[in-house]
Amino acid sequence: MKKAIFSALIFQFCWFHKLFAQTGSPDFMRSVGKIYVVVAVIVTVFIGIVLFLIYLDRRLTKLENQIIEHDQNDN
Amino acid sequence: MKKNWWKILGVLLLLYVLTVGMLIPLKPGIVEVIPGSVRTGDQIDLKVLGYNSFYSLAKKPIRAWLKLDDDRALQASDVKVTSDRQLAIRFDIPDYLPINTKVQDFALVLDSDADGPSILPSAVFVTQDSIDPEMGLQVWKNSPIDQLTSKNILTFPFRNILSETIRNTYFHVSLWLSMMIIFIGSVGTSIGYLRTNNLDFDRKAKALTVAGFLFGLLGLTTGAIWANYTWGQPWSNDVKQITTAIALLIYGAYFILRSAFEDEEQKARISAIYNIFAFVTLIPLLYVIPRMTDSLHPGAGGNPAFGSQDLDSTMRMIFYPAVIGWALIGLWMAQLLYRVDRIRAKLLDLH
Amino acid sequence: MGILRETGWLLQKEFLLEWRNKFALSGILLYVFSTIFIVYLAFFNVDPRTWNALFWIIVLFAAVNAAVKSFAQENSQRQLYYYTLVNPIAVILSKILYNIGLLFLISLLTWLGFGFVADNPVKDPGQFVLVIFLGSLGFAIAFTFISAISAKANNNATLMAIMSFPVIIPVLLTLIKLSANALRILQDTDIGTDITVLVSINMMLLGMALLLYPFLWRG
Repeated sequence: MKKAIFSALIFQFCWFHKLFAQTGSPDFMRSVGKIYVVVAVIVTVFIGIVLFLIYLDRRLTKLENQIIEHDQNDN
Repeated sequence: MKKNWWKILGVLLLLYVLTVGMLIPLKPGIVEVIPGSVRTGDQIDLKVLGYNSFYSLAKKPIRAWLKLDDDRALQASDVKVTSDRQLAIRFDIPDYLPINTKVQDFALVLDSDADGPSILPSAVFVTQDSIDPEMGLQVWKNSPIDQLTSKNILTFPFRNILSETIRNTYFHVSLWLSMMIIFIGSVGTSIGYLRTNNLDFDRKAKALTVAGFLFGLLGLTTGAIWANYTWGQPWSNDVKQITTAIALLIYGAYFILRSAFEDEEQKARISAIYNIFAFVTLIPLLYVIPRMTDSLHPGAGGNPAFGSQDLDSTMRMIFYPAVIGWALIGLWMAQLLYRVDRIRAKLLDLH
Repeated sequence: MGILRETGWLLQKEFLLEWRNKFALSGILLYVFSTIFIVYLAFFNVDPRTWNALFWIIVLFAAVNAAVKSFAQENSQRQLYYYTLVNPIAVILSKILYNIGLLFLISLLTWLGFGFVADNPVKDPGQFVLVIFLGSLGFAIAFTFISAISAKANNNATLMAIMSFPVIIPVLLTLIKLSANALRILQDTDIGTDITVLVSINMMLLGMALLLYPFLWRG
């Protein structure tokens, strides 16, 4: 699972890199009034929120497993 | 639904911030002027590159000045519009300047009825061949900058180094303030725990800390991205960067301290004490660091960072909702964590 | 008045204990001198700016090592019984006072030792002693309180270090600036403000320590 996420991230990064290279300009981030810096910041914040969701998801999974265990003990 | 109004409010505020913060255009500005340095006595043709400008739409002729100070300016003899974003401006620089410095920087001020006024500070450096302020006063033809057109459309200020990234104020700077609000909330719940010995307070404090920690991490990474493309390096000893980094160190220690205890009561009490003690030491930092950098780096005045005085009223309209919106989202995150923790405690009781 | 008398009495006890197992103090001193020697061997030529930074780093680590032991002996049952008789504020106050003395001594010796092997760039000794004193005040207050917390977590030395370093940064930054002035690396006419800032940070730390220690004590 972790490996999958990791390789997905690596892939994503390479893809971005290619995209940047395709624009042809050596200074893609500084073009159009540096608007892509704002885009990068918003994307980072979004990634942060997704990381929080993953963290919450894992905690909830643990709780669910505990409930299942608890039910099995009762029976 | 009634109970959750603040979550809806947070999301709506951020939606407002995202749309309005991205849609409002920047004020027309000047990106660069070529050549950047001239000598006295020259007749110069400046090539001006504008940003968000519509020079060809101007009905009245565009006026231009080289501004020396608040009272003294030199008007252009001719302004030619090349395209919407390009101008050719002719100035006759006098043989002597009314000042006694060798090199003097002039700001370029433009005024067009389509775009309103725009300014580029230190646009042109004039080198004097010989210094004679007396002669300078005689040949100086002063033409004060007046009757500037005023435009009443919503725009964000144009700053040369920042340009569009000024919008990051809403997605990055506001994160820092909301992080502080969340940490203050966490200290508040820690105090609440010490007063009541109710473990719920401890769970709230921990949940708020996690949310604040995430905001701090995001603030640092987004700050590094922004600083890299504006200040030229990802880390520049800025007060907010340093306080955030230290806050992260403190709360990292807080999490490790919590993991050192088995007993819930003891964990809650001691981590609450550390939380309060450590947070209080953050406050003098806000005062100490600016003093440090001011004294060690005398050139800090040229730093293009901006403080509260640079937030104009349009930006305030979006900045404050952004702070509240992010803080509410952080609170929501913390509440989810808190509820998970409470359910976990209930389950442990059942076993 | 009770608190003051108790503090005095506890302070006496601290000195007596220290005197009885001398290896604790001599251990710290040996630590300081070996650090100084290593630093000297690594640098050989220490310019004033580096001297300033290294001096405070040596003092910082020595202070952490000295303060971590503050509550080490308090774990035994006998000591706990002993302490139920006195006011918690007197306990923390006596430890802080003792550590102020200890750290002041350590920093003076560091100055002596470092000055001996790697030159003495201090141009204004009076101001430097004042800075050292204010520094040991801040270090003693913060580290004593943090060591009281880490004592609850079985005297974990790593925990002590990671908890105290972020807390001491405002004090350390002001100290480095003040001592840079005493070394004449930087000329500042506004030195009084910095001293006021340092004193008020110290007072604030002391206030927080006295306010929070009773809660720590209750367990």
